[in-house]
Amino acid sequence: EKKYSRDFLLKFAERCSELPEGFEITADIAEALMGSNIGSHVMVRDAH
Amino acid sequence: SSATSKPNSAAVHPLENSWTFWFDNPQAKSKQAAWGSSIRPIYTFSTVEEFWSIYNNIHHPSKLAVGADFHCFKHKIEPKWEDPICANGGKWTVQYQKGKSDTSWLYTLLAMIGEQFDHGDEICGAVVNVRNRAEKISIWTKNAANEAAQVSIGKQWKEFLDYNETIGFIFHDDAKKHDRGAKNKYVV
Repeated sequence: EKKYSRDFLLKFAERCSELPEGFEITADIAEALMGSNIGSHVMVRDAH
Repeated sequence: SSATSKPNSAAVHPLENSWTFWFDNPQAKSKQAAWGSSIRPIYTFSTVEEFWSIYNNIHHPSKLAVGADFHCFKHKIEPKWEDPICANGGKWTVQYQKGKSDTSWLYTLLAMIGEQFDHGDEICGAVVNVRNRAEKISIWTKNAANEAAQVSIGKQWKEFLDYNETIGFIFHDDAKKHDRGAKNKYVV
């Protein structure tokens, strides 16, 4: 089983600042969940 | 050299389970007739690196709007009572003043994805509910009747969070029938 302590996991926090490749989100959720700084990851299509 | 300083994709750290973040947007929620119909999956991650890539780019509970629900559940388990894996389960809940749950939310996520619970197999996922006067974090489990497993999870969770108040475990079945009148079946 892959167990990781909190201290071990925290070491990776600053190394992973970019959103994953292929991450996409609709505009309505992007605003509520991420604020304005989401760049090209917002899907163009209408959320509805 | 510059080549050695690049992140090596072979060195990612896989998690024991894949997990999905779900978001219930308060603006959308108020427009939906049926409860829960506005909840949507955001992203499924299966490595330590992917977790941070998402976590570092989304609002933490203190910055979410009142009414928001943010979930992190094992992949393929929906954060709903109706999900067959959740149906016989229940939840432990801790409560914080508005704006004070960010650290505990992160520690809850890290304990789950790092498989720090002795009865981690019993866990479906966790949710933070942002409300007017409080932020509540709950851990949902699978077999509410398994008292030993639930009590173990509740005790360990309090240790991970350094949480000193008594917490209660509510069966989803009771919550369905009695809403806020549902009584704690276990306390630790």
